[in-house]
Amino acid sequence: MAYRTRHKPKALVVVADSLVWLYGLIILIPVYYLIVTSLKTNTEIFSAPAALPTHAALDNFINAANFASLPQALINSSVITIGAELVTLGLAIPAAYGLSRTDGKIGAALERVFSAGFLIPAFAALVPTVILAVNLNLFYNPIFLVIFYPATQLPLSVVLLTQYMRSIPKELEESSMMDGANRWTVLWRIYTPLIVPGLVSVALLNFLTFWNEYLFSLSILGTDTAVRTVQVAVPALIGQQTTNYGILAAGCIISIIPVLVVYLLLQRQMENALVAGALKG
Amino acid sequence: MTSVAQHEIDHRPPTLSPVTPRRSRTIKSAQRRAVTLLTAPGLIWYAVFMVIPAASIFVFSLLDWPGLLAPATFAGFSNYAEMVADPVFWTAVLNTLIELGVDLAVMIPVSFMLGYYLTLKRPGHRILRVLFFTPALLSLSARALVFFGVLAPNGLVNGIFSLIGLGDLSTPWLANPDTSLAVVMIVDLWGGIGFTAILFAARLASVSPEIYEAAELDGATSWRKMWSVAMPVIRGFVGIVTMLQFAWILFGSATTVLLLTRGGPGSTSTTLSFMVYNEAFVQSNIGYSQAIGVVLFIFGLLGMLAINRSIRQRY
Repeated sequence: MAYRTRHKPKALVVVADSLVWLYGLIILIPVYYLIVTSLKTNTEIFSAPAALPTHAALDNFINAANFASLPQALINSSVITIGAELVTLGLAIPAAYGLSRTDGKIGAALERVFSAGFLIPAFAALVPTVILAVNLNLFYNPIFLVIFYPATQLPLSVVLLTQYMRSIPKELEESSMMDGANRWTVLWRIYTPLIVPGLVSVALLNFLTFWNEYLFSLSILGTDTAVRTVQVAVPALIGQQTTNYGILAAGCIISIIPVLVVYLLLQRQMENALVAGALKG
Repeated sequence: MTSVAQHEIDHRPPTLSPVTPRRSRTIKSAQRRAVTLLTAPGLIWYAVFMVIPAASIFVFSLLDWPGLLAPATFAGFSNYAEMVADPVFWTAVLNTLIELGVDLAVMIPVSFMLGYYLTLKRPGHRILRVLFFTPALLSLSARALVFFGVLAPNGLVNGIFSLIGLGDLSTPWLANPDTSLAVVMIVDLWGGIGFTAILFAARLASVSPEIYEAAELDGATSWRKMWSVAMPVIRGFVGIVTMLQFAWILFGSATTVLLLTRGGPGSTSTTLSFMVYNEAFVQSNIGYSQAIGVVLFIFGLLGMLAINRSIRQRY
């Protein structure tokens, strides 16, 4: 089918090719603009917005880092993301193992609870969560996000990991337990290594969600430079009266770099993870 | 699923099984205990930090609560009465419906066609796939900031307009009451279409080629194959994706609106989810915010169920 159209391109196919690439261009243009803007001054941007920069100066990146205390924000985001990731996996791996090894009604019911998780969007819990943080004396405290973020990703992580664990034959567990291994050893020494590809998918999905989260981090940590995350720090570059668009674009790029690096290293896994995450959630 | 698994255990030939039936029973009860112990921490965590907070919006919506650190008093249904009488609320309802309606009506068919195109593996499809995927990597706030620049008064769009002699069309997109809501929808579409296309492509890749071949023998064109063969085959999947995008747009617009227009000018770009945020943290009217939150939550739930029901597999 595809091959035949390649040999005999009809008018319709040419139209389709052009329209699809036009859409590709529509996606690309704002990205292009972000990059060229980050290398220009306001005067250059305003006089010729679409033009390439005349010289590649990194002043905007240095200014963005200084004005918005981005190094500190990157550290804060990293600590919160890694902490929340560890808590999520620490809770989800045993839960998934338990669910994958059960045939009973309780197990099936528990699994349904996690599968229904997508019906409660995290946003619905925004205001009560802030109030919870205040009452736990953890308002403006990054630890609260390390505790809270896992709850937003637990259902999806458990559901996906349970599927991966199901693919491991039961006999493996039985024979290991015969050899005297206890359940805990079986879980961490035998099962977890076997589901590494699935685990990477789940970890990537959580990483992307936690790193990119904006509204909870803004509402709970606020804009104090000592604790704010990078997602909250970058919009602080928007001025009250006027905005230096070059510096804002540079800050925006800095906040994207960690995600970009992970994407370049693990492109396939990242794409699979996002697709699996969207469809199983 | 469950019964099949039990069936296998109970009737396993004794030669294959290393355990006797009696031992199997003790393993089973031990297994039940282990499942509970292993699953409980995650379940409790989820209940404490997600289910209970989400459920408590119903209680909060009945309180008069002027700010996070202020004491709350019971107010009955007065927040709901205030809501029904609030013209901003009705503007937000209308804006949310417009945002969802336009976004989904554009996004789902366009993404489906783009996803179908990707499965044809035309030259350059790998590059297209990466391009389509790019916005999905960006946070909602980064997407908003990208368009904050593109649509700035001296930004890319107005710059191009004056370059090609259409300077009259230039407008402060974010501050113009006629375009502010459109801007929010453009950001939604830019961020959502490509990734949704990838989702459709992933599903279409598993459709058996024989189905298309039969249609080809009947002389069907690509266009016909796409809509009359591929679409019905993955109809149930289209429903799931529509449901997901519905939820993402409905709840995600709080961030986009907050960063781009703050609901303005006036309330021209105020959506329900932005209003929940704004009433709670800017207007310090927590009870009122949560009354809107209850409406939003129920609307989201009913919307997802309705989409799920109406776009189902037909066979």
